[in-house]
Amino acid sequence: MSTDKRITLQQAAEIIKDGSSLTFSGFTIWRRPMAIVFELIRQHRKHLHLIEVNGGSHTEFLAGAGCVDIWESCWVGHELYGKYGANISRKVADKQIIVEDYSHAEMMFRFAAAASGAPFSVTQTSLGTDIHNPEYDMLGKAGLRDGKRIAKHKYQFTEDPFFGAGSQVLIPAAKVDIAVLCVQQVGEEGTVRVNGQYYSDPEVARAADITIVMAEEIVPEEYLRRNADQNTIVSFEVNHILECPFGAHPTGMFGRYDVDGSFLKDFYGRTRTQEGFNDFANEWIHGQNHMSYLEKLGFPRMLKLKANSAMNYAPREKKGGK
Amino acid sequence: MSEYAKPEEYGLADLLCSAASREVGDNEIVFAGTGLPMVAIMLAQNTHAPNLKLIFEAGTLDGRPPELPTSVGDARCEMGASRASGLYDAFSIAQRGYVDLGFLGGAEVDQYGNVNTTCIGDYLNPELRLTGSGGNPDINSFAKRTVFIMVHEKRRFVENVSYITSPGWRVKKWPGGDIVPRQQLYGAAFRGGPSAVISTAGVFRFNEESGLMYLDTYHPGKTPSEIRDLCQFDLDISRVKGETAVPTREELRIIHEVLDPDEIFIPKVKKP
Repeated sequence: MSTDKRITLQQAAEIIKDGSSLTFSGFTIWRRPMAIVFELIRQHRKHLHLIEVNGGSHTEFLAGAGCVDIWESCWVGHELYGKYGANISRKVADKQIIVEDYSHAEMMFRFAAAASGAPFSVTQTSLGTDIHNPEYDMLGKAGLRDGKRIAKHKYQFTEDPFFGAGSQVLIPAAKVDIAVLCVQQVGEEGTVRVNGQYYSDPEVARAADITIVMAEEIVPEEYLRRNADQNTIVSFEVNHILECPFGAHPTGMFGRYDVDGSFLKDFYGRTRTQEGFNDFANEWIHGQNHMSYLEKLGFPRMLKLKANSAMNYAPREKKGGK
Repeated sequence: MSEYAKPEEYGLADLLCSAASREVGDNEIVFAGTGLPMVAIMLAQNTHAPNLKLIFEAGTLDGRPPELPTSVGDARCEMGASRASGLYDAFSIAQRGYVDLGFLGGAEVDQYGNVNTTCIGDYLNPELRLTGSGGNPDINSFAKRTVFIMVHEKRRFVENVSYITSPGWRVKKWPGGDIVPRQQLYGAAFRGGPSAVISTAGVFRFNEESGLMYLDTYHPGKTPSEIRDLCQFDLDISRVKGETAVPTREELRIIHEVLDPDEIFIPKVKKP
């Protein structure tokens, strides 16, 4: 393997092909690789199969832009800034997107299985719910369960064979082509240091066949290796790296910048319809690149989002100017 | 305890928040979702339950946020935490049985406490796709008690929810979908279930034998029969204890001056 893992934003998006299965770093509206998501939309990527522990604003952008065929997860919305995923919702109703519902813990445990090379995980969550309704196995209904990348069954029930603890659910490993991460620091050789909650990043990076890491900064590998116990993801689990400051905007990044709530509110409010989405994408995505996007955002707005370095978030008290 | 607030001094959100916080015991381990549940738990932490341990789903364990987080992934969650890690930790800890109480929300609830956050209408042809489950069924499956905080409308308190996202006291046994008691299905993994629903009309609990919901207290200004009319099922109002206790002035001070001064989740009552 070449030791030079650096790629550009455009190349990062090109690694993701039409029909790829894809997963992401972060949690709902935190540390999502938005700059790559916007580039995928500019490149008109199609037929993506998103398999995520949870969805968020990035899911809504990709769904609205028509990049997604299948969304396999448990939740989508913008938290406080948009109460549900209006684009996913519209496309599910129109049958343009297949949604496969699991519970949050099930999705996490499915990635944990994939990350440890196991074919499935076992859990006791969500027994008795419609998540396990056989009529609601949507990938099965669509004839997509080939037992290769998509498991033969959505889940299986078994009795505990060891301790007689009763009903157990077996859930298949989340086999995914590409994980796209957005983090604070990556070393030149791929070592990742996440600050703050790492959500499900270690598992998704290990589970995917290809892992792309977009970082606020690329730092000397040797700097990260001085304190290896503080690192989150191993160098050789990462295939490609790129530096992209403010690459998670409008989602937030611990220690660097907060969620841009007014941006997300605006997106949620304007993208209930396809026309609204197209209009929003024309304003913020198409014809832009990352630098022109940041210019459009403007430095004062970015400063307002900037985290206090001791507190790791932007305190709500108004800052600057006066 | 400080004196109770007068009717004009508090709003409905204050009442819900205060009622929810009183469900928490000191030293309990509590799993909290985003929004009003978070404020309720932090209110308990600042009043009668200073030793409660707070878990946020995104991976913050025993956090003591000084400023209200806007979601569980928020950097604010981690201030003062024992450990900040990830979802695998949070859910493993829950499945291991550490969690005493979960605080959740829902779009629809039925007479057995089954909750729907997935879709309105037929799942295969939804009128409206909602957010999806998130951790709702997980927290509810793993915790010893679960409290749901909900808006009370007749269309939300239904005989059967459109989709069981989160399990109540009578659930479906697959593949057939027969309705069975939760204890029977969960076996050794059974720890409890929904202990209360706090709606904008009253506080509801569940009959241990039948698994059916009953009205425990009604909020000031409501009557039990009015609340029964706001349910599509035949709500048991025979066990009602009286009015829901209103917030104290001290609770209102903590909610509005300490926890949510910017009215992110709880609006202030406008002073006349």
